[in-house]
Amino acid sequence: MNNDKQKTKAAPILAQMAIYASILFVSNVISSLMPSSFPVPTPVIGLILLYMLLNFKIIKLAWVDSLGTFLISLIGFLFVPSGISLAANLNIMATEGIQLVIVIALSTIIMLVVTAYTARTIIAFKKHLQETRNKTRNTKVQVTVSHAKGGN
Amino acid sequence: MTAAIYTPIFGIGLSLVLYLLGQWIFKKSKGLFIFQPLFFAMVFGILALVILARLFKTDTATFYTKAYKPGGDIIFWFLNPATIAFAIPLYKKNDVFKKYWKEIFLSLIIGMIVSLGAIVVVSKAVGLNKVGIASMLSQAATTAIALPISTAIGGNSAVTAMACILNAVIIYALGKKLVNWFHLNDTPIGAGLGLGTAGHTVGSAFALELGSVQGAMAAVAVVVIGLVVDIVVPIFAHMIGI
Repeated sequence: MNNDKQKTKAAPILAQMAIYASILFVSNVISSLMPSSFPVPTPVIGLILLYMLLNFKIIKLAWVDSLGTFLISLIGFLFVPSGISLAANLNIMATEGIQLVIVIALSTIIMLVVTAYTARTIIAFKKHLQETRNKTRNTKVQVTVSHAKGGN
Repeated sequence: MTAAIYTPIFGIGLSLVLYLLGQWIFKKSKGLFIFQPLFFAMVFGILALVILARLFKTDTATFYTKAYKPGGDIIFWFLNPATIAFAIPLYKKNDVFKKYWKEIFLSLIIGMIVSLGAIVVVSKAVGLNKVGIASMLSQAATTAIALPISTAIGGNSAVTAMACILNAVIIYALGKKLVNWFHLNDTPIGAGLGLGTAGHTVGSAFALELGSVQGAMAAVAVVVIGLVVDIVVPIFAHMIGI
């Protein structure tokens, strides 16, 4: 972001842990209050909380940056146990494994292409809106200009 | 011997060794997609548990629960603070996020709804049952968000976890071809959002190779799609009656 933020010294790692722990605790409480028909996992609430705290400058980036960047750098490793948890569900893989892999492969392509094309359509539509708005504004400007000239 | 294996250190140690081994082989193979560290650790971790369960004369599920899960759960817990920390890259990309937030949210929400419809059609076409379909819906979100949502709508979280991992493997393997085939790079913002949605953090790293706009958009999409999945998927699942 800006320079003085980068110059501020990183908070001690224990203090950073305390901040993450507090956010996690508060998020956990909020998450448990959510109705079961609309589940909001703890990390979602924590993510929004931390983003808002940073945006409203209640927390400085330097207070959470180094520990957060470290945790994100580990994310591939942190996913390993969830992958291995499939070991407890090998019967599903035996009966539906091939179908699941086919669906996952197609889903990946679907999500990539559909999201990209949706964005393209929305951007094109917005551009179209702006152009028409500019055109009407231009004609208005011309009208006022000609009026001004007529007045003179 | 069994007492030593049934402590958290076994699961932590196995995960670490396999992941590091995967990283090393991935490097040696010059980045062959099959050897992506996470995918490697998943496949060989399951294989190791199957073999060890035979040696200890139990079934794989019991051996997993007794020997691997205590350590695995400790590692898994750290996904909570790590997912929260995704607020930091989002905050650092605040300039693009604030400029394009309408396009980002609209594209991801509409894109998600259309994708969900297509995923259900494909799932039904290959004959998945209800649990299977429910496990497929939340895969666009990052694992720590996708798994609880999957469980909440009646899916199997282990299958969803596999989906999240395979998403990244597929985007790593085919990303370049897919981008060329579908001319996705014509709209850099779209390419970035698509790669972040479909390929998670791996997709985001690949998007950065395409350009800085694509990279920034993908990094934002990885975070925002988690929120979108959290809102859209339970409603969608309810509407199609899963």
